[in-house]
Amino acid sequence: MTLLQKMDRLVYATRLDRLIFMKFQPRTFRWTPLLVMAVLVAGYVLMARTASSPGRSFLIGSVIFYGAFMVAVFLRLFGPRFAGPALDERELMVKSRAYAVSGIVLASFAMMSCFYMAVASAGLWGLWQPHAMSDWITLGFGFQAAGNLLPTWIASWIEPRPAADEDD
Amino acid sequence: MIRDVIVTILYNRIAVFRAERGVSRRELAEAVGVNNQTIGYLERGDYKPSLELAMKIAVYFDVPIELIFSFRPFEPVADTLRRAAAAGERP
Repeated sequence: MTLLQKMDRLVYATRLDRLIFMKFQPRTFRWTPLLVMAVLVAGYVLMARTASSPGRSFLIGSVIFYGAFMVAVFLRLFGPRFAGPALDERELMVKSRAYAVSGIVLASFAMMSCFYMAVASAGLWGLWQPHAMSDWITLGFGFQAAGNLLPTWIASWIEPRPAADEDD
Repeated sequence: MIRDVIVTILYNRIAVFRAERGVSRRELAEAVGVNNQTIGYLERGDYKPSLELAMKIAVYFDVPIELIFSFRPFEPVADTLRRAAAAGERP
């Protein structure tokens, strides 16, 4: 058996072919994205609290945050289909609505965050604001994760419950 | 009154036509270029098709579009057969 054949067998044995060629049925995640977002926030808070003197809490926060970040990527892959060569008119409609709504939500959140930062940087009420470089980098990754989770979550609510597949 | 119906429900008889012709969802989906789940959603009334998709389905079954899609509920097949039998027609 050649190396290429072995690699082929490995792809099928690990079922990576299902992921690469989108062979799996899309699923809806109506609550999981909210849970992942909560975990992201918890991880971020743990990291931000100890960013000035990184220790055990910072490490735990990092593991929680980046673990949730990875889960967000996979939820997008296994959730309602947003990519692929053959999205039909219904899937394109779901995709465009989900991205439109999540775009509005993210833009509103970014706008509110700017107002918050303005107040926090003026030193009012002792509000927390990101200081360390890691705070900002993690915040960026948090936005990226939210950009994955929100469309998945919204599309999961737009998408009707799967119709029983009579052909299978 | 019809305006209220228009904005709420679009009835269809895709499942009836499929059963009559012995066509699976997958076959119909491939013929009209959609995912077979979309055909399931259409039959269940969870999705209203575009005019293009509705016409493709009508063309596939070779019937006028209004025989498949309607703003009013379709008469049950049993009633149609009963009426035809009463009129002396071959069902």
